[in-house]
Amino acid sequence: MAAAQAQPAQPAALRVPFSPDPQSVRTAAEAIRKFLGEQGVPEKELFSFELCVAEAGNNAIAYAEGPARALKPVAEALFTPDQIELRMTDHTAGFVLPERIVLPPPQKERGRGLYLIKSVMDEVRYVRGAAENTLIMRKRRRAIQATAKEREPGMPGALSLEESQRQLSESKSARASMAGELLFRSDTLSAIFRCCAELGRSDVLADDFGKRLLVDLFHLTTADWCVLRLLSVDGKQLVVAAASESELVAEALNLPLPGEAPRGIEAAVAASQTAARFDLREGRDRSEPLRAVGPGATGLVCPLVFGGVLVGTIAVGRRGGDFPLGKLQEEVVRIFAEFLAIQNVNLRHHRDEVRRHVFARELEIAQEIQHLLLPRTLPQLERFGLAGGWQSAREVGGDFYDALAVDVQSLVLMVADVMGKGVPAALFAATMRGMLRGLAARTNDPAKILSGLNRLLYAELSAVNMFITAQVVHVDLQTRQITAASAGHCPLLYVPAGLHAVQALPTKGIPIGVLPDTVYSPATAVLGEPATLLLYTDGLTDTRNPAGRLFGQRHLTKWLGENAFAGHTAGGLRDQLARELNRFRGAAEMTDDQAFLVLTEARMNPDGAREFDAQRDPALLDSASVRIIG
Amino acid sequence: MKIENQGKCLSISDIPELTAVNSAHFRDEVRAVLPNSPSVIEIDLSQTRFVDSSGLGALFALYRATAQCQGVVLRLLNPRPEVQQLLELTQMQQLFEIVQR
Repeated sequence: MAAAQAQPAQPAALRVPFSPDPQSVRTAAEAIRKFLGEQGVPEKELFSFELCVAEAGNNAIAYAEGPARALKPVAEALFTPDQIELRMTDHTAGFVLPERIVLPPPQKERGRGLYLIKSVMDEVRYVRGAAENTLIMRKRRRAIQATAKEREPGMPGALSLEESQRQLSESKSARASMAGELLFRSDTLSAIFRCCAELGRSDVLADDFGKRLLVDLFHLTTADWCVLRLLSVDGKQLVVAAASESELVAEALNLPLPGEAPRGIEAAVAASQTAARFDLREGRDRSEPLRAVGPGATGLVCPLVFGGVLVGTIAVGRRGGDFPLGKLQEEVVRIFAEFLAIQNVNLRHHRDEVRRHVFARELEIAQEIQHLLLPRTLPQLERFGLAGGWQSAREVGGDFYDALAVDVQSLVLMVADVMGKGVPAALFAATMRGMLRGLAARTNDPAKILSGLNRLLYAELSAVNMFITAQVVHVDLQTRQITAASAGHCPLLYVPAGLHAVQALPTKGIPIGVLPDTVYSPATAVLGEPATLLLYTDGLTDTRNPAGRLFGQRHLTKWLGENAFAGHTAGGLRDQLARELNRFRGAAEMTDDQAFLVLTEARMNPDGAREFDAQRDPALLDSASVRIIG
Repeated sequence: MKIENQGKCLSISDIPELTAVNSAHFRDEVRAVLPNSPSVIEIDLSQTRFVDSSGLGALFALYRATAQCQGVVLRLLNPRPEVQQLLELTQMQQLFEIVQR
């Protein structure tokens, strides 16, 4: 191993089951402190985490009863660079974690544990289960920044095989981290979408707000049990959204159809939208769902109604009839029912707001991904100009182009179309661009580059039933020879030597990702003067006008023939082509992405002066791709 | 743990930690010497690297035990920064003098 370097912290976890005695709690707390210390958590932060494990552990053993006293609680620590999560799983009857915990008065010897935990952690939750409960304590922290090592400037000249392999692997790992980031973003997006989907359901109250409110209600009324049901999306059923007892989490209740007798007190209250007191000792209905609480339960069921529309029901009560809810307590239940109904409406407004935010963020992420897809700069050439055009039908597409200067007199150009759209297509596009750079350092042969790309990408692409069409061209600027190979891609257009016309260079090949070992055959041609070369994706030729007619390769060839000799700069030709495509499309919707790359040459005047000045031509000066908005 | 009786000053030191493991022992040991009616009780926390709510509970119990004796000064000496924060979080400084020497 080389000398140790600062590594970015990796996620790690520790699980410590311990015997239910104070000394074992201490040992577990110390073990977790040591573990977090090993993950690089600073000494001054460790005290708090040790404290939380100690407090939670002491509670876990103090409140265990009966046979559960012999069971081992479990302390866990989950470390990630941006958060530390501690968990304590106990076998007690559990408790209700209050929203706010006040510091006990000095006269009291006990009762400060939860206060301390809540004070030092950012988030504390208590999840109750049938046989065990888990206290979850989270603390967010700033990620430890990995020190970025300054890259040394690359050495010019020919590369050894070793060096190019190193570059390939570097490029792969850079792409892998980029892919990781894209995945992370996509995960984040899908998490947001999931959250929105949750918000969209009518039982949204169950997840958060309703439960919290129910806990408060439970405390205020000193009830033995309570259950909140919300109307299902189809409006036909009452679904349990939150309940104080697990036996109350019963199946959904059907609302009675017109003329049908309601089944159960809650359904009756929902149907009549009128609150009702009940006493199960009086009724003989064996099928009453609230019997799950106990045979002698008493209480109150209130409808949740807002603006005359039913939202759900809330039932609160006692197990027996000896201490029925008083008038005041019933009033509290009614007020809560009203509030819950209003809150449900508020949450719907909130959900719309969240959707708007998510949409805006999605656009931002899509734009970031787009920037990753296209080269920031194109090679700057002495006598030739390069410019790329790109337009996406949707926010993220799989079409892209790239250009690499192999040496002072030759170039490798690529245009590709990843089948599919969205983040997966963009991921493959980004990965392939990285691989192209690695391969082009080893060979100038477009056929070998395509075979190499196919070999590297086949497994991943075929696993997801995707493929990529691509055209790779090597241009020798000295001899004017072009060598092209195609993987199922549309032919390139060029002006051949000795002709005053545009031709397609016929190349054939199977798309990347279709067969494991594809051999590509190159085609060669010599560029005329001034050189004109157009690589494009089928989004150009597949452009349709409002009448549904295709732009087509013939139109494209004709257009290029009319413009190739007009003395345009690369940037100028690119802009003209984009304009022509948009003119043709008119008001029709764009259905496919478009990407293209043009190579042009400065014409020499008789006195030898260039027709355009590289220093002033925007396409040469700043050959970063220009996004053309239709 | 060391308990020394120096005239009117009761001095407790050498406490590596004050937790659920030893807080009851600490509380009982200190209570046992209270009948000597000291006027100052000094608890040296310089060696104490960890305190939990049970440990704090023992200190609150000590406060309660001395509350009826007029004029007894309760003093915590040289707590480490983390322990000091804990004392402040639980407003212990309202009951004990916290002194760095």
